Order: sequence, then C-alpha cells, then structure tokens
Amino acid sequence: MQVILPDRSVRVLPPDPVRIEDLVISLGFLPTGVIVTRNGIIVPEDEEAGGDDELRIIRVSHGG
Amino acid sequence: MAGNGCSLCERPAVIRLFDPERRLCADHLLADCAERVDDALKGRIAPGDRVAVGLSGGKDSRLLLILLHRLLASSEGVHLVAITIDEGIAGYREETMEAAAELTSRLGVEHRVLSFSDLFGADLDALLTNRVEQGCTVCGVLRRRALEVGAADADATVIATGHNLDDEAQSVLMNLLRGDLPRMVLDTSGGLPECFIPRIKPLSVLSEKEITVCLMMMGEFVDLPECPYAGGALRGEVREILADLEFMYPGTMRRLISSRDQVRDIVGKKKKRGDLFGLPGAWENRYIFRNNDR
Repeated sequence: MQVILPDRSVRVLPPDPVRIEDLVISLGFLPTGVIVTRNGIIVPEDEEAGGDDELRIIRVSHGG
Repeated sequence: MAGNGCSLCERPAVIRLFDPERRLCADHLLADCAERVDDALKGRIAPGDRVAVGLSGGKDSRLLLILLHRLLASSEGVHLVAITIDEGIAGYREETMEAAAELTSRLGVEHRVLSFSDLFGADLDALLTNRVEQGCTVCGVLRRRALEVGAADADATVIATGHNLDDEAQSVLMNLLRGDLPRMVLDTSGGLPECFIPRIKPLSVLSEKEITVCLMMMGEFVDLPECPYAGGALRGEVREILADLEFMYPGTMRRLISSRDQVRDIVGKKKKRGDLFGLPGAWENRYIFRNNDR
C-alpha cells in the first residue's frame, strides 16, 4: 500500500488491512485536520485500506 | 469496519460527521451543509439588502460566495458584491486574486478590488519590515478596515465573511487565553449605528474539513499556496489544541462557540456595547500605528 503525505512524500506500507483513521494518527495527523482519498476517491476515515490501495492525505488547514 | 454507504442513501460516503453521527455521500453532504448555512442566514438578510462578500479567493470565501449565490438567488432584491482585498503579498496573492476574479466572472457577481497600497499607502510586505512575526495581527486589522471601506463604497448593508467553525472556536479560546473578555463578547452581527455595517459569518456552522470536502465534491477546490505570514504563534497552538479536543470529544468547537454566545446574551442584556468597548476598532488602530512608529 502506498501513502502520499501532504508534503507529497511517499510511504510504502505493508498490504495488511488497516483502519484509515489509525493509519492517519500513526503518521502524525489528526483525522479532523485532513481529508483522505483512497484510489482517488474521498473516503471517511472509519473505512479500511490495504493491498495495493493508494492513499493520499490532504491537509485541510491553511492559513491566509 | 463501518459500512461504506451514506446514512441516507446507498451511495458511498465521503465523510463521517458527528452530533448526530452520520456518514454522508457527496450529494447529502452538500445538502446538509447548505441547509445549515441557510439556517444561519435566517433573519440576517432581508429583501433589498446589498451583501458585500469578503472574497480572498481561498477556500472559505469561495464556498461562501457560491452558497450565497445559490441560496439568495430566489431572494427578491438581494444584491451580492464580492470584495477582494489585495494586501500586497508577493508570490502569494497573485494566484488567489486570479481565483477570485475567475469565480466572480463565472457566477456573474459584481467584483471590486481594493489594495492596501491605495488605502494605507504601503503594501503588507512593506508594512511588515522588521516585524514579520506580527503579520497576522497587522494584516487582520487592516483587512477588516479595508473590507469596511469597500463595503461602504459599494453601499452594502451587510458584510458576509467566510470565517468557519474552526476560526470562530479558535478566536473564542484565544480571547479567553488573553483575558480579553470584551473582545470575546463583541458581537458585530447587528452593526453599530454610524460605525459598523452589520457583519455575518454564515460559514461559522461548517468545519474547515466540511468546507474543503464540499468544494472538492463541487469541483471547486483550488489548491492555493499558504500565506507566508500564516501561523501566528498563539493561533497555531490553539488550532492544535482544539483539533485534538475535537477529535477526542466531537462537538467541542461548537460547544465553545455556544458558550461564547451565552455569555454574549448575558452581557448584552446588562450593558450597551458602546459602554463596554468604546468605539470599535479604536484599540486596534492604536496598536497598529503605535507599532509602526517603532
């Protein structure tokens, strides 16, 4: 599974199924402050990801 | 694992919301948010009003203009004027200005642009020489003033700004932490005779996350750069604290704002606003110009 972080860096993780919320927290983000897409589609963080999924974490908080 | 569906239909959910807990698909999220904003507008805008919408071009003001344009389309005689303030921030403002111009052109909304240079004699970059750490404070004060001038020039009867739930909750907590109760309870929604055009914040019922997802679902999300002066120390800390609390105790931000409103009600019944605060903006102007003299 591949995770693209807000700074566009990429993490490759094992394919085991994981709750997206737990994954987001383990990467140092709060689910309230980010949006997650799974294979290009926005999903709630209580869903799971695994296998060959590509997750993208988008930060929603911007100044200005 | 939760089911993937919307709580209201069979389509895939895009967001999970709380209080009450529900999972919503794109269409139901947009309807839910529009309904909450519509409720927030009730009694705030009347036929014949000219509504000045503060349009930075960023996500909050984009959604604000789009929703007001839709929700007020059937309101008789309500006129929208988008006002963009060009603070003069090199390398940042150009893109957001373009986004604002494109949106107003597409919606057919009158668009006016005012600049710090024209109003205050210098752009923000120049005003912040040797005081970059005060960027948000200085910009916030001058931007509010500029919006008032622009709204008055446009004969606006109401000013609408894109402050969201997160912004509002952060401001409440920041004012508490500064011990600034007068600022916390200051309510500009009713305006003050000959001082203020009434201000409304219709998006204060939506979280930053809801706003972002709505724009993405509408195809209206524009990934714009972050302001180079963003991230004032206290607001940054407060943002982190509240985000933590909101995650652990959903509804924290809404309850914080509700507490502020309750205090406002109590204070409002006891004392006239003018008695409490003097002329609105007076302390801010002193702060800005005192510091400029350094």
